[in-house]
Amino acid sequence: MTGVLDRVRGVQLSGLATVAMLVVAVAVNASLQPNFWDSYALTSNFATFVPLVAIAVGQTIVVLSGGLDLSLGAQVTLASVVAVRIVDGSLDRYPLAVAAALGVGLACGALNGLVVALLRLQPIVATFATSFVYSGLALVVLPTPGGSVPFEVTTAYRDSVLGVPVALLLIVALALLWLVLRRHRVMRHVYAVGGDADAAYASLVPVARTRVWAYVLGGLFAALSALAILANTGSGDPFVGNELTLASVAAVVIGGTALAGGRGGAGGSVIGAIVLALVANIIFFADVPTDYRQLVNGAVIILALALAGIPALQKRRAA
Amino acid sequence: MSPPLLEMSGVRKRYGGVQALDGAGLTAVRGEVHALLGPNGSGKSTLDKTLAGTVVPDAGTIRIDGAEASVGGPRDAHALGVAAVYQQLSVVGDLTVTQNIVLGLEPARRFGFLDQRAARDRAGAALERFAAAFAGRLPLDRPAGALGPGEQQIVEVAKALARRPRILVLDEATASLHKEQVDVLFDVVRELRADGVLVLFTSHRLDEVFALCDRATVLRNGRTVGTVELAATDEDELVRLMVGDAPHQAPRTPSDAPATPSVAAPGTSTLEVRGLSADRLRDVSFTVRSGEVLGLGGLQGQGQSELLLALFGGARVTAGEAVLDGRPLPRSSPAKAARAGVALVPGDRGRQGMFAVRPIQENLSLASMRRRATGRLALRAAAERRAATSMVERLRIKIGSLADPVSTLSGGNQQKVVIGKWLLDRPRVVLLDDPTKGVDVAAKEEIYAIIRGLAADGAVVILNSSDNRELTELSDRVLVLFEGAVAEELGADAISERRLVSSALRLAPGEKL
Repeated sequence: MTGVLDRVRGVQLSGLATVAMLVVAVAVNASLQPNFWDSYALTSNFATFVPLVAIAVGQTIVVLSGGLDLSLGAQVTLASVVAVRIVDGSLDRYPLAVAAALGVGLACGALNGLVVALLRLQPIVATFATSFVYSGLALVVLPTPGGSVPFEVTTAYRDSVLGVPVALLLIVALALLWLVLRRHRVMRHVYAVGGDADAAYASLVPVARTRVWAYVLGGLFAALSALAILANTGSGDPFVGNELTLASVAAVVIGGTALAGGRGGAGGSVIGAIVLALVANIIFFADVPTDYRQLVNGAVIILALALAGIPALQKRRAA
Repeated sequence: MSPPLLEMSGVRKRYGGVQALDGAGLTAVRGEVHALLGPNGSGKSTLDKTLAGTVVPDAGTIRIDGAEASVGGPRDAHALGVAAVYQQLSVVGDLTVTQNIVLGLEPARRFGFLDQRAARDRAGAALERFAAAFAGRLPLDRPAGALGPGEQQIVEVAKALARRPRILVLDEATASLHKEQVDVLFDVVRELRADGVLVLFTSHRLDEVFALCDRATVLRNGRTVGTVELAATDEDELVRLMVGDAPHQAPRTPSDAPATPSVAAPGTSTLEVRGLSADRLRDVSFTVRSGEVLGLGGLQGQGQSELLLALFGGARVTAGEAVLDGRPLPRSSPAKAARAGVALVPGDRGRQGMFAVRPIQENLSLASMRRRATGRLALRAAAERRAATSMVERLRIKIGSLADPVSTLSGGNQQKVVIGKWLLDRPRVVLLDDPTKGVDVAAKEEIYAIIRGLAADGAVVILNSSDNRELTELSDRVLVLFEGAVAEELGADAISERRLVSSALRLAPGEKL
């Protein structure tokens, strides 16, 4: 009984920890980056946040279902190189490129879902394997960095509407998309399957189909992440998604979603993604010597993960 | 005459080496509350689950309204109008009560978007009947995991009712309910009966069965032994059906044991337990001496495993103590308990007793490594191998090679490895938690011999078993537990299967059976 109460409290506590980390990260960043609140700096900061936010939302859905998708970064890469090959600098072909990117994401997600749900392979191993397939395909599609995105797209991405950066609006849009999804039956089933798959099965939830859906939605958000990267960088890169995979998992954990599944939400992951991106910013502006940047970055992420994990630890001790 | 609403016949189901159902069946009509009875492990729950679709039987037919039905999963069962309340709850703790009640059948608007108001209405209507069990305030928006076990059970029942079943399966649905909650549930069941619903009621509590049910089907060893009208039956008759006619009295003379494992002190040890309380354990006291096998009986899940775990330092003890030869046993740590001379052969050997993919040798030597380690640090390969080999020979474990993973062995030999692991540590107290569960008959006999050998060598042996025959064969005394407390102590001359069943069901002691 008390264990359960602690768990409910634990979720709130970790939400608090996530918000606290955001506040600290923003404060530190603002003090180090002199023009942090200027519209130009804000715009370019948010522009770099969007890809990580999108992939973090996708990873959240997979994790909530009780899975994990280590191929999300590779999906981002594949979707982006396919899109950049199609668009090739022409605005006319941009809608087609968007559709192709989304199609790639959905297809990759579906393949992951089928492998995990029907072949019943361990999600970590299965998606680790498919990640090589996706990055390999990306190299075939675009062997070296190149291709160009129409400048209208890159310009619009870094524009602002009534003083609000477009990139921030995109983050809000991603959050809204999550809120819409959460009202859908599939997401309810995702929570149920991640929380207790046996109970869900006995309660008439189509467990395998729900798992597939979770990976498909993960792929959809990977495609959105790919489109954001293209709009931000203006060209294609067959290695662009490599670091996003583990960052997405870190964002999910910092956001307070339980890796065991069934508990949490993408709201926390959005904040978690922003915290991670701010950390990279802070290290840059804190004049950390180049050779030490990765080391410091890693240390800070460990600290953030530990802070997010403290409520869970307390829960375990109480139980 | 119209066919009966439900006919199940010839249902068989095998789990590994255990035949859980071996031709079970029952026939029941609409507007009936039909009890399913039987001792531990007789297959009641498995039969319930084959009807509800969570277990797919190996053979057997189910007819509903005379038409053969194929139940391949819970969705098939639902389509046939069957809803079930399981012994192990199907409540998802992180979802709210409303979300749980409508789970799997969420009311939705276009494109599958949830209709939260309709969901709340439906859940409210289903839970309304149980308002009395929630002191009038329905916890529709609370996470189900935050409710008490009884309340969760009620939510589970409400969920089944919201599916508007023609057949409602209640599998131990009253196990975690308070008296008032049971009364509310019974009122609802009677309403359902009046509406023509068939309720299949599985319970260990015979008084509930007599209070609520019209007829009862009795299972024994996975087979149906009969169906009786409860109005024309008494408890004696039911127990007789459950236990069978043959008064199996096992030869209690220790057979020539193949194994005489060595135990530390062949002198006399005494384990004294005084007022021990822990989670699901209330004020348990007893004394066992070396050379004695103390059985733990009763219905399953009445605190037997918890008692063993508490003695092994694996449970949080809230009161009382266990004293071995004048020294209190450590309460908090299995490692310290092992050092004090206590060994636990756990019931769930797959999860707690062994490392299935690791070699046999490693599994055998693990618990006692510190005894052989040089300077408490370095292990010598030869000594480890010698120790493992000695145990394989003593317990007659049939293996290919010591390097094979334990998972390659049969269930009986796996269990011998788990026992052997502890015997190498020369324990003074051996706790066995259902050691022959899922073990075939021949291996069972060998394990019995090992247990007898342990006692003969001067160990204090405490044996929990869900198999009453096993208890009668091995125990010198049996403590019958009920809801975490000792309900009755049976001396050597009082131990019989029938007596164990009637005591477990809390019939008045001393009844002639």
